[in-house]
Amino acid sequence: MTPGTDNHDLFENLRLELRRGSLVLAVLAALRKEQYGYTLRKMLEEAGMAIDEGTLYPLLRRLETQGLLVSEWREEEKRKKRFYKLSDGGAVILKELLTEWKSINASLNGML
Amino acid sequence: MDLVDRYVKAVAKALPEKQREDISNELTEDIRSEIEDRERELGRELTEAEQEVLLKQRGNPLVLAARYRQDHRSVAFGRQIIGPVLYPFYIKVLSFNLGLTFFVIAVIFTALAVSGQKIGVGNIFSTCLLQLFIQSSVVTLIFSLVDKNLEKHPDHWQLNGISGGLTLQLKAEKEIRLRIERGAGHVSRFESVSIIIASALALAWMTELQNYPALILGPAAAFLKLAPIWYQVYFLIVLLTVAEIVRASINLVRPDWMLFRGIVRVIVNVGGLTVVYFLIRAGSWVTAAGSMAEGAGNSARTLEIINQCFLYGLVGAGIISAATIVLRTVQLIRQLRGQSGSGNVGATAKEGN
Repeated sequence: MTPGTDNHDLFENLRLELRRGSLVLAVLAALRKEQYGYTLRKMLEEAGMAIDEGTLYPLLRRLETQGLLVSEWREEEKRKKRFYKLSDGGAVILKELLTEWKSINASLNGML
Repeated sequence: MDLVDRYVKAVAKALPEKQREDISNELTEDIRSEIEDRERELGRELTEAEQEVLLKQRGNPLVLAARYRQDHRSVAFGRQIIGPVLYPFYIKVLSFNLGLTFFVIAVIFTALAVSGQKIGVGNIFSTCLLQLFIQSSVVTLIFSLVDKNLEKHPDHWQLNGISGGLTLQLKAEKEIRLRIERGAGHVSRFESVSIIIASALALAWMTELQNYPALILGPAAAFLKLAPIWYQVYFLIVLLTVAEIVRASINLVRPDWMLFRGIVRVIVNVGGLTVVYFLIRAGSWVTAAGSMAEGAGNSARTLEIINQCFLYGLVGAGIISAATIVLRTVQLIRQLRGQSGSGNVGATAKEGN
């Protein structure tokens, strides 16, 4: 393995790590408005936060188990779809996370 | 069952039962939404090949299912040997193997005890420990190879066959030929190498069995010995094993020789069934040895019980063997029909490669 490949792999790992935390924030923010999985994925993609379905759906389930989201199965366009939205507890957490994120952002901007 | 259903079914098989239906429904909905979206863009229905491309992008069903599981346990000795994707299957196979082995050991020791043979706790303990070691080592080795292959080639899977070394057992109404990469017209190197290793190990084991019957009878080798029929069919068993090694070696060099594999496998299976037939016809598979031969305890009763167990095992093996022959013959006929239909299967295989 060449040093160039090593560096690329390292960058990729660090990039994924950096994105992981941001994705939770993005998903919670996007679900202030009720959506089902596919439209949520498209919305995130259009906003520049592309997430593959193999990551999104397990994340949605985890957030729901943690009480940050609520979901229900409903019929739309003759098909049953699972709609997610932010729970009351999730809204509180989102607010706190956004404050934290802004604070981190401000600190980093000051350092860079 | 269409492609989407089959893909979702493949994922569902590796999901925890409690969440299976829920996740499957949501996954189906997501895939169908994506297909509809793409169809709207194109203004026409997606072809089967285009649907396959979409599903391939979603990745190996086993890997996808593992992401849903909250249990991410793995086997590691310093470094990871079996990852979370295969761990649940590893545990299932190991438990099944050990359960079956301990059951057989229990039957043998019970039969010996009933017949009045002296059995020490140490004997039982050492047999169980030896089997635990052998089974765990073999199953762990096989799964670690599969895991390594899965890690190296996460995209080598197909809906009608192998997924990272594991057969997904997806029945297709119509055979799919994935042209994206190596697909149905190709014998994977992993399969060939695995068969060569497994057959070579079996060959070594069979050779040693002649000198050390304890390898199959365990501590019961002190009271029992294999009946002459085993020595009569020994050469045929070795021949079939060697044939399989030769076949796998040829397919290692010529992975596109699918027809050759199909024909040899049917021949080997017929040979296997013939061996089982001769064994069943023999009527007795173990005879008395040592103290048992001298008539100690209820020897006849013990032999009767153990031979009865052998009979059940052989009948089971015969049924499985016959079913395999039927299945593989059907596959071979389809292969031959496909070849005559397309006029040039080799070209398809090469295109797949």
